[in-house]
This record gives sequence, C-alpha cells and structure tokens, in this order.
Amino acid sequence: MSGARLDRMIWLALPAVAYLAVVYALPLLWLLGRSVTGPDGFTIAQFTAFFADPFSWRVMGNTLRIAFWVTLLSLVIGYPVAIAMARARGLMQVMLLVAMILPLSIGVVVKAFAWQIVLRRDGVISQGLVAIGIWAEPQRLLFTEAGLIVGATNVFLPFMILPIYSVVKLIDPRLTEAGATLGASPFYRFRKILLPLALPGIVSGSAFVFSMAVSMFVIPSLLIGDRFQTLATLTGRSYLLMRNEALGSTTAVILLVIAVSIVVLSTWLSKRVGRSL
Amino acid sequence: MPELISHPAAFLDIRRASKSFGAGKVLDGVDLAVERGEFVSLLGPSGCGKTTLLRIVAGLLGADQGHVMLDGADISAKPPHHRDVGVVFQSYALFPHLTVAENVAFGLHAKGTEKSSIRPIVAKFLDLVHMSAFADRSVKALSGGQQQRVAVARALAVGPKLLLLDEPFSALDRKLRETMQIELKRLLRELGTTAVFVTHDQDEALIMSDRIAVMNRGLIEQLATPDTIYRRPATAFALEFVGLSTRLRGKVSAMEGAGELLIDTAFGSIRANGNHLPGSSVLIGVRPERMVFGARDGANTVAAAIQDIVFQGSRIQVHFVSGIDEPFLLETGGELPAGLAPGQQVPLSWSIADTLVYPAGPSA
Repeated sequence: MSGARLDRMIWLALPAVAYLAVVYALPLLWLLGRSVTGPDGFTIAQFTAFFADPFSWRVMGNTLRIAFWVTLLSLVIGYPVAIAMARARGLMQVMLLVAMILPLSIGVVVKAFAWQIVLRRDGVISQGLVAIGIWAEPQRLLFTEAGLIVGATNVFLPFMILPIYSVVKLIDPRLTEAGATLGASPFYRFRKILLPLALPGIVSGSAFVFSMAVSMFVIPSLLIGDRFQTLATLTGRSYLLMRNEALGSTTAVILLVIAVSIVVLSTWLSKRVGRSL
Repeated sequence: MPELISHPAAFLDIRRASKSFGAGKVLDGVDLAVERGEFVSLLGPSGCGKTTLLRIVAGLLGADQGHVMLDGADISAKPPHHRDVGVVFQSYALFPHLTVAENVAFGLHAKGTEKSSIRPIVAKFLDLVHMSAFADRSVKALSGGQQQRVAVARALAVGPKLLLLDEPFSALDRKLRETMQIELKRLLRELGTTAVFVTHDQDEALIMSDRIAVMNRGLIEQLATPDTIYRRPATAFALEFVGLSTRLRGKVSAMEGAGELLIDTAFGSIRANGNHLPGSSVLIGVRPERMVFGARDGANTVAAAIQDIVFQGSRIQVHFVSGIDEPFLLETGGELPAGLAPGQQVPLSWSIADTLVYPAGPSA
C-alpha cells in the first residue's frame, strides 16, 4: 500500500529532477570531464601543473583565509543576534526577523557597490575612525582584505543567524534556569548547556557561510579587484578573460571539492559532537 | 497585619513578597514561614501566584518588594546559583544532551565538587530514586515517571538547603502519580529535606503536605495542617477549593449566647457557631461525609429532594436539589437506607459543630 503510494509520489519529483539534470548535472559532468581531458585524451596534467605553481597556492590561501575570517566574524556577530531573536517575543521578534531577512531581497551587486562607497577613503568608516581618533588620517579600506571581509560578512550574516536561531529557539529556557538552581554560574551555563545545544546550528551556519564565502565571485570582484585572486575569481577570469577552459575547469573542480568537503565534514561533525556532548 | 520583626526567623521565611506584571498584581505581600524539614504545599488555582512565589524563592524572578530569608540569611539579592535552593520543574528540564548520570552530576561539577567524590554521590541518588539501571541512558529515552525521578535526584544531589517542586506530577497518569507522591514524600522525609511544593491538585496537597498554604489572588488565605484545612477551612475560598462541600446561603437572624447563630435559609433555620452580626448574609458549609440521613435532636435537620445517587465504589454520593448554584450533597462510606430514589424528599442532619459559617461575598 505505502510502497505503491510512494511509487506514484515519485512522479511528482520528475520535473525537478529533469530540470536539475539538464541545467546542473550535465554541465557539472562536462566540467569534471573537461578538467581531466587534454589534447591526447584523459590526463591529470592540468591538476599537477596547477599544484606545481606557487601562484595557485597563494590563490587557494587567499580563498580559504578570506572564507575563514568571514565565517568567524559572522559567527561572532551572528550568535548573539540569534540568541536575542530566539528570546525576543512578539513584535520585537518580528522586527528582528524582518531586519535580517529584508536585506536578502537586495541584490549582491547593489550591496557590493554600496560597500564600495562605505569603504572609500572619504567613506563613512574612514571618516568615523578619524573622527574618534583611531586613525590619524583617512585611509582607503576599499580594495583591501579587511574591506572584503567586512563586506562579505554583511552579505552572508543571515545565513549564519538563521540556522543558529532555529536551533536556539527550540532550547527550553527552563534548562538554563535548572542549571542556575544547580549552582552553575552564567558562564558555566553557557559553556555546558547553551553552547552544546546550539552547536548543530553553529556548525550548519558556519558551513553555509564558509562554502558561500569560498565560492563568492561578485563581492571580491567589486571590493578588492583583480590584484587579489581567489579560486572563484580565477575560475571566472579563466573562462571570461583568458579563454582558458583547462585552467577554469581545474579551479572549478578544486573549488567544488572544497565546498563538498565542508558539507560532509560539518554533517559528520555535528553528528559526532551531538553524541559526545 | 503581621509584624515584620516580631516573629523569630523560620528556616525559610518569606516576608511581604509582592510582584506585579504590568497592571496585574500577582503577589500581594505574602508572608510564609516554613520550618526545617517541613513539607509545605502552595495550593491554589492557576493564576493565584503560587508559581511566581516559587520562582522568587529560587531567585529566577525578582520580587518588587519583600525579603526571602533562608537558614538565617537574607538571600533576596543573591542570584539563583548562590542560593542553595533546588528546583524540580514541571517539565523536568533535564539536559537533553547528557545521560541520566551526567544530569545528576551536573550540579556537582558546576559547584566544583572533587571529581573522585562525584561518582559515589551520583550513584547514591540514582539508587534512592531507583534509577541506577538507567545511569548511562540518554534522558530522551526515558518515560515521564523516570524523567521525574532523574529530575528529583539531580536537584537533591547537590544537597540544597531547600527543595522547590513546581507541579512535578502533573504530566503523569493518575496511578503513577499516586505512587510517586508517596515515594517522594518518603524520600524527602528520610533525607530531612525542607520542601515547598506548588500544586493546584488538592488531593496531592492533602496526601503529601505537613502544612498547606491555600493561595488565592496573590495572598495566602490559610496556612495549616491538611486536617485543619479540610475540617476548619478559614475562608469560603478554602472551603470551596479543598474537598467537596455542601453550601447554603442564608442570613443571620439571631445571635444567642456566646457566638451561637441562628441562620435563615431556604431549608429553614440552621444553627451554627460563629461571630456574625444579625442581619448579615453568610455562606454555610458542611463536609458531605459529616451529613447523615434522618433527623436528630440537637443537630441541624433539613428535608431535601434527591437529585442523583452517584456510586463511587468505596463511597456513595447523594446529590440534592439545592435551588441555588451551589452543591448540596451527602457522602457515605456505608449503605444507603433502602428504597432511596431520585425525586424523593428525605430528612438529613449534621451536627452544629460541623456547620461552618463564612461572610457571604457577592453572591456568585
């Protein structure tokens, strides 16, 4: 009975499966194939060449470093926001949710251009830091790593907050109260109750942000420019400017492997951590 | 009004505790003194302030006014983790990411108890609540009754000066609840734990308590032993809230001698002891098992029409037509006179000493 039902239900997924096969799976297979094909058929020469070049390692370093800082900054800023949202009630909670989700409707290009203005030598940040005496004179944040990290964090922050919020919301507030009546200080309660219970949200939020930060293209293009290459911008350049499909497919595959590893690793991590804590 | 300084401090001494949420006054200057080793229940309907009072004692909620003294020290300003007050929550609030044993050990770790002594303490308390076999299980895999045992063991393991219980049995089915009540009562007596217990279930309060505080609208209406609460409820609210009662409305027609009242009711003249001015409206209460069939000399005797006969196994209730929106019933553990049937008019009586009189509030 339920088997027959399931069989019929499967047809409902057909349009989506067909769509994904055409626009996603096939190009992906082509990409993978292209990365291991040379003039004489199958080869891994493109990978060996890529890994032999110190420039490639600098690009990978750039990619991972930026993604790491963006993830960390998103976590540090996002965690308290998620807690506040989960604990807020009524109108306040709605307002916080709207304040976080509304910016998602603004395109990344628009946001990146806005950050260009903010990060300029005569932008708000520079002038503000001069005004309060931290900087002696105006400086340009645009086209620096710091500027890129700040701008990217802004764009990806909701993807850190939402998973943490959805997990924290389900934590019974009585648990921390019970901890308190058992003699646990606020910090001990945070460490032994709130943090372990919020960890699945933290892990998935971090995985979201990290994988998006690793593969971002528009934001680094607009906020740091060509002098600074990441795997994603290099992939884009290879295809669009250099017409080097071999290099482009190679970097794309490496990027893909990194992103998939993060997803797998974080799934494994949240399961393991959930068990051991 | 109780004097602030005059009485010597009890083990737990709550003085003039007040709390408002917005415009609503939830606690209106509550005084409560609990002796060491005593089990006191806060009994009242939802919204009477009993849980608010419990949270104030635990330090989970700040009082607007008033003080909480525990074992001679004013703990009003202390945060919950410095109070030595344990709580068993209604939802148990077990830590879902920890095992049974880890839950019980949590407070010991938090308090920095020496590692080597934690294991035997945990074992001891798991044994006391008969949960030793479940020590390494996840708490998520436990039944309601088992979770409740773990919650009690966890709260007691840190050796609190005072244990607060917030309706801990409300999620259990009736049979299990009765077992757990007796078990918990025995455990706390063995350990000599002072406990304050919040409940809206009068049976639970009567079974478990050394004393019961009947709460209504942010005040304690009566604090007394279960026996006194039942036999001599101090207010009409206590009469109505605890146990069944037959209630009649009337007007004092005369006061004879030392507080002997003659009260006019729909069922004729009723005699009672009390101090109410002639002409004042009163509510008369009688416990149903104090009423008997048949007229007696020197007792209050009325005639009433049978409405229903309800068989309850060990007891039988006979409900009568009262004419007002108040219960009028007789309860007996013995046998009914032969041939009783609904509609029949029968004589009933109860002694004057069992007749309780209260000033009548606005009739409702």
